[in-house]
Amino acid sequence: MKSIIIVKLDDVIDCSTVDVLFLIIDLNLQESKMHDSSQLKKEFIKKWVQGLQICCSSKRQMSILERKRNIKLSADIALASAKNATTSWSKALISEAKKDREKNILVDNLLGHESKFMGAHQKVTSHNRIRSKKILRRSCGIGKRIKKMGYRRSDSPTCIAKRLVKKRTQVLKRLVPGGESMDEFSIITEALDYILSLRVQVDVMKNIVNATNLLN
Amino acid sequence: MNRAYPEMLDLHNATVTGRADESVFERQQARMKWQQQQHQILFNENDHQVPIPSSCLIGNIKPDPGLLNGWPDFSDGCDDLFQPLMADQRILQRNSSSVSLSPKKRKNLENQKVLSEVNGIKGKKIKGSSNESSTETSTKEKSKVTETQKPDYIHVRARRGQATDSHSLAERVRREKISERMKYLQDLVPGCNKITGKAGMLDEIINYVQSLQKQVEFLSMKLATVHPRLDLDIDNLIMKEMFEVSAVSYSSEMVNSSYFQLNSLLEMGINPIDMLLRRSMGGTQVPETFCVSSCFNQIQPSVTWDGDLQNLYRMELHQDTIPYNHSQKFTGSYEGCNLKMEM
Repeated sequence: MKSIIIVKLDDVIDCSTVDVLFLIIDLNLQESKMHDSSQLKKEFIKKWVQGLQICCSSKRQMSILERKRNIKLSADIALASAKNATTSWSKALISEAKKDREKNILVDNLLGHESKFMGAHQKVTSHNRIRSKKILRRSCGIGKRIKKMGYRRSDSPTCIAKRLVKKRTQVLKRLVPGGESMDEFSIITEALDYILSLRVQVDVMKNIVNATNLLN
Repeated sequence: MNRAYPEMLDLHNATVTGRADESVFERQQARMKWQQQQHQILFNENDHQVPIPSSCLIGNIKPDPGLLNGWPDFSDGCDDLFQPLMADQRILQRNSSSVSLSPKKRKNLENQKVLSEVNGIKGKKIKGSSNESSTETSTKEKSKVTETQKPDYIHVRARRGQATDSHSLAERVRREKISERMKYLQDLVPGCNKITGKAGMLDEIINYVQSLQKQVEFLSMKLATVHPRLDLDIDNLIMKEMFEVSAVSYSSEMVNSSYFQLNSLLEMGINPIDMLLRRSMGGTQVPETFCVSSCFNQIQPSVTWDGDLQNLYRMELHQDTIPYNHSQKFTGSYEGCNLKMEM
């Protein structure tokens, strides 16, 4: 193991310390294949390292805010691509990033061939879905208005509860990427998955922050 | 139904010929004829005594998919067989405007109380290829959703007094699915166990997602502020570290700070269990790493695998006490490090 590290460090002399750090982590992760979350962690770190390298190589001097944005962006995309686009929130994240030209480079580099395969197609479908949903909602709204004119039942407790749930579901839809075009059942499934992967992301980032603190 | 249709035609290629030229009426007739045949076969196979005239719509029998498995004779075509059946029923029901007032009935073959009972038959809902063939009837049993082996069917049992038209049945299935998922979410989100009610749970979930997202923001900000400082003395750090690492042999005596740092780095964000395994397999090559990792986990116990790790670590301690000494050494050195950092 010692020798591997030395070799890696030799390769990396001209990179930044952070990269060294990631490489060491990366190296260790390659050997660990335990359960699902560690697998995801490994994927995530691998992608993130790539993403950060791309980000850092593009511009040498950046303000802190810019750095932060880049770091977050690369982390998000890494997370999405670590999920391998099996879930719709990750697809939505990637297609969102693809709209931006600068981010597009990052996505292309991270995903490789897959992104070209699914990119444009995905964008169109998600747009369409949102639009049709909007139309549907509008037409539903008309129906509701007529109903409410007839008799007012919005005061009953079940109605209030329903309204509360609906409002919260809409908030949740806004929180989960790509949630606008989902129905109630799939939004909950997606939220489940999204929470799990956010946890992985937070875990990894925390560890790295601690590591960098120790380095200083 | 759209899906079932071609299959059915395929099945009856022998009986129905030249389907392109046929009129709709003829096709329907052929279908009805076929259905009668199927019923006959069906009842012969099962020794079922109830005669079903094709005109009697109430008597249409939809066999229970669960029962299908018990029919060895049907094994070759049973999957395809019932989709046409359902399609036919719809057509027949549509044809008969006179019977439209009476509710459509369908029974379990299991029950064997066919036709005689009008109230209190077990209801069943079929969802899938033939989109919505509905059913009804109330039972005193609890409403329950069972997924059968065939993905096309979902069984629903309605409680007494519950609505039994297809829409409310579908709605009930959907709601039950959602609440099942909500239960998973409840387990996932901390502090969600005590809350009852969907709105409160959703609130908690939203808060949790938001807090996670904010945490990511915060951490990335932190990383962004950390990096510039690192960039200043990259070269120094790397050179130093490199030489030290290459010089260091992995012995327990080497407790200099940079070595410690490297070890700690090794442990960040990785699976320490893997280390443990490697260690237990390959002897005491990397005991220090392991000890450091354990120190770390005591310091920041938020990581998910902590519990397992610490348990394992304790087990290890019981097995041999040598690493324990190491760990003590290391905690000492770690404190030293902390002091240095504070200074």
